Amino acid sequence: MPDESKLNNILVVDDSPTMRRMVITSLGSLRHVKSTQAGSGLEAIERLAIEPVDLMVLDLNMPDMHGMEVINFVRKHQAYRNIPIVVLTTKSEESSRTEALAAGANRYLTKPFDPRQLADVVGSLLQTS
Amino acid sequence: MDKPNPDNRGEFFDQFLDDYYTECDEHLVSIRRSLVVLEDDVNTYALDRTLLDNLFRSFHTLKGISGMVGLAAAEQLAHHLESYLRELREGTVVLTQSGFEALVAGVSLLEGVIHARRNDQPIPSIDQLVERLQAISVDSVTSEAPAATTETRENDSTITRWQVEFTPTAELAERGVNVNSVRARLQEIGQVLQAKPVVKGAGEIAFEFIVAADVDQTAVASLETDGLTFQPAPVEREPRTREILPTPMIAPASVVRVDLDRLDELMRIVGDLVISRTRLDDQVAELKRVTPPAAWRSLQEVNLTMGRQLRDLRESVMRVRMVQIGEIFERMTFVVRDLARENGKKIIVQLSGGETEIDKFLVERMMDPLMHLVRNAVSHGLETVAEREAQGKRSEGVLLLSAMTAGERIVIKIADDGRGIDRGVVIERAKPKGLNPENAEIDDDALLNLICTPGLSTRDEADRESGRGVGMDVVKKATEDLGGRISLSTRIGEGTTFTIELPLTLAIAEALIVSVNGQRFAVPQSGVREVLEVESASTRVLENNEIISYRGKVLPLIRLTRIFEMNHQRGEKFHVLVVGEETNAVGLAVDRILGQREIVVRAIKDPLAQSRGIAGATELGDQRVVLILDISALRQLAVTSRH
Repeated sequence: MPDESKLNNILVVDDSPTMRRMVITSLGSLRHVKSTQAGSGLEAIERLAIEPVDLMVLDLNMPDMHGMEVINFVRKHQAYRNIPIVVLTTKSEESSRTEALAAGANRYLTKPFDPRQLADVVGSLLQTS
Repeated sequence: MDKPNPDNRGEFFDQFLDDYYTECDEHLVSIRRSLVVLEDDVNTYALDRTLLDNLFRSFHTLKGISGMVGLAAAEQLAHHLESYLRELREGTVVLTQSGFEALVAGVSLLEGVIHARRNDQPIPSIDQLVERLQAISVDSVTSEAPAATTETRENDSTITRWQVEFTPTAELAERGVNVNSVRARLQEIGQVLQAKPVVKGAGEIAFEFIVAADVDQTAVASLETDGLTFQPAPVEREPRTREILPTPMIAPASVVRVDLDRLDELMRIVGDLVISRTRLDDQVAELKRVTPPAAWRSLQEVNLTMGRQLRDLRESVMRVRMVQIGEIFERMTFVVRDLARENGKKIIVQLSGGETEIDKFLVERMMDPLMHLVRNAVSHGLETVAEREAQGKRSEGVLLLSAMTAGERIVIKIADDGRGIDRGVVIERAKPKGLNPENAEIDDDALLNLICTPGLSTRDEADRESGRGVGMDVVKKATEDLGGRISLSTRIGEGTTFTIELPLTLAIAEALIVSVNGQRFAVPQSGVREVLEVESASTRVLENNEIISYRGKVLPLIRLTRIFEMNHQRGEKFHVLVVGEETNAVGLAVDRILGQREIVVRAIKDPLAQSRGIAGATELGDQRVVLILDISALRQLAVTSRH
């Protein structure tokens, strides 16, 4: 059993519980990771306050606080600025990719996603960060 | 353990299908709720922004998760509905009547697509609807400036605004105090206008809420616990604050979702406990016989206490399985609106007892039958506006959906104030089929039996047209299969009421334990109307049927020995359990009544052991298996074996 505290903590943010389970299961193939989940932007930020987060998988279209606002908040504050963010969103507006990347998202993936690809992207970001 | 292989996407996402269906259901319920409200705003510019946001997000999520499970038809349809909602939200189109109808039709089809996938049926085509949605997006583009959507719920300026700050910590989160629970608490005292995260001096995160609440300083002071601070908020607001309203989709933090299978498992364990307790009961009884009171009294006390605790446990587990029936009622309201519009009728739906709770399993099984009754009431029971006015009735028909609990049972009524069922027509239809040959006057019960005869309904054609495979016979069977009972009351010109009584839950039932030919059987008590003691000499045989007289009428007897081909030895006396409705009651002949027990119903899954007339099996204290009789199937078996 690896030491809990040395595991990379991935915060999965999506308002759909089904989607969160899909993402978490997809990331299950990665080594030395654990995941935490949040159902809204506000909850995501609360998680950041409570525990160290090593990477975020973030949906955009959510109630309360849009994913874009989460990116802006995270990138604006020193303590969280370096957390890698993978945006994982259902394709709806073409402009959102440019917008999200400009705001500071590291990667932009669309749903339906390929579980292997998601795990690869997350895995490589964790290695380089 | 076998890990699902992420390389095989179809297989990988199949494991989430149950979650998918559950979430779809939740969104569809929420969408329907929103559409009912939205209908009032057709052709106005003042669309409720929050409502549109919620609808948009539901379609968006449905699109996302449908894509993941590879249900392309649902994904595309949700995509087009989402696009239409975006245009409404941005004000580039106006919500016209035809637009609203397309939206409603789209939601129905979306539900149909998901339903089809769930039941392995062919997926309906979405092409026409997609065209329709695309057409309205173009048609209703406003030539003028985009219509402004209203900022919802403008606030009364006399109400004080409070600025509330909440600092989350791991300790608070552990105690269930988090950004969601805090907001829920604030929502109780007023309206949360804004919620945003801020970073304080030392880099710690806090949440700032603006709440409009008609409360004074002392009232808020009492809320200042758990890291919350209150102060009157500065009146000027930022140019455009995002309004935060609770969304029905997000469950409060204190709610967990549980797979029904897990609850079944829990119920099974409780069932095992019930059986063990029965065993203990028997042991104590045995001790009582052979030892002095001092030896068994304290054991008996413990046993009785355990019995009570077990009942509490059972009730608590059952309560977890309960859902409010209001959710189904809302679905029905939606169907009614849809159908009424198609048929040019005006209908007011009245709901009562929506908070009544019923076992989730029963809800799922009764959904289609109840929907059938509602469709019938709208399509056939209620008249058109012209017909109603001609009869001096108010132009809107009333459809009442009500639910209430009565003891261990739930009573659901579906009542309309329409034209009533014409007995003459039903009797005419019954004649060629050899039913009711005497052409006699028939009461409501007999009428119900006739319209529940397969192939007899005057409405079959119409039902098939509307694509529903359910008929009245199916409604009756579904109700009885669940240990329920359906009854009818109808008067020409005044309306029709169907009453369905169901047990609150299925897994554990009160039963009579009887013996026939030395074999024990359990008979669910909900189906038994009366128990009679009968002298063997008083039975008669009529047309190969054994009968006794009962309340001035003839009661045909069912002999289990005959149905299950057992030897038949007769005593001088036997007992008869009267089962079934008044008009077609039958008597189940048994040798002895051994007692009344709480039994745990177990389905018999082995096809070799399954048999008609047997509903399942249970275990009594002595570890022997006892078969549970299926009353309605036995009645039918008795009828067929007569001919």
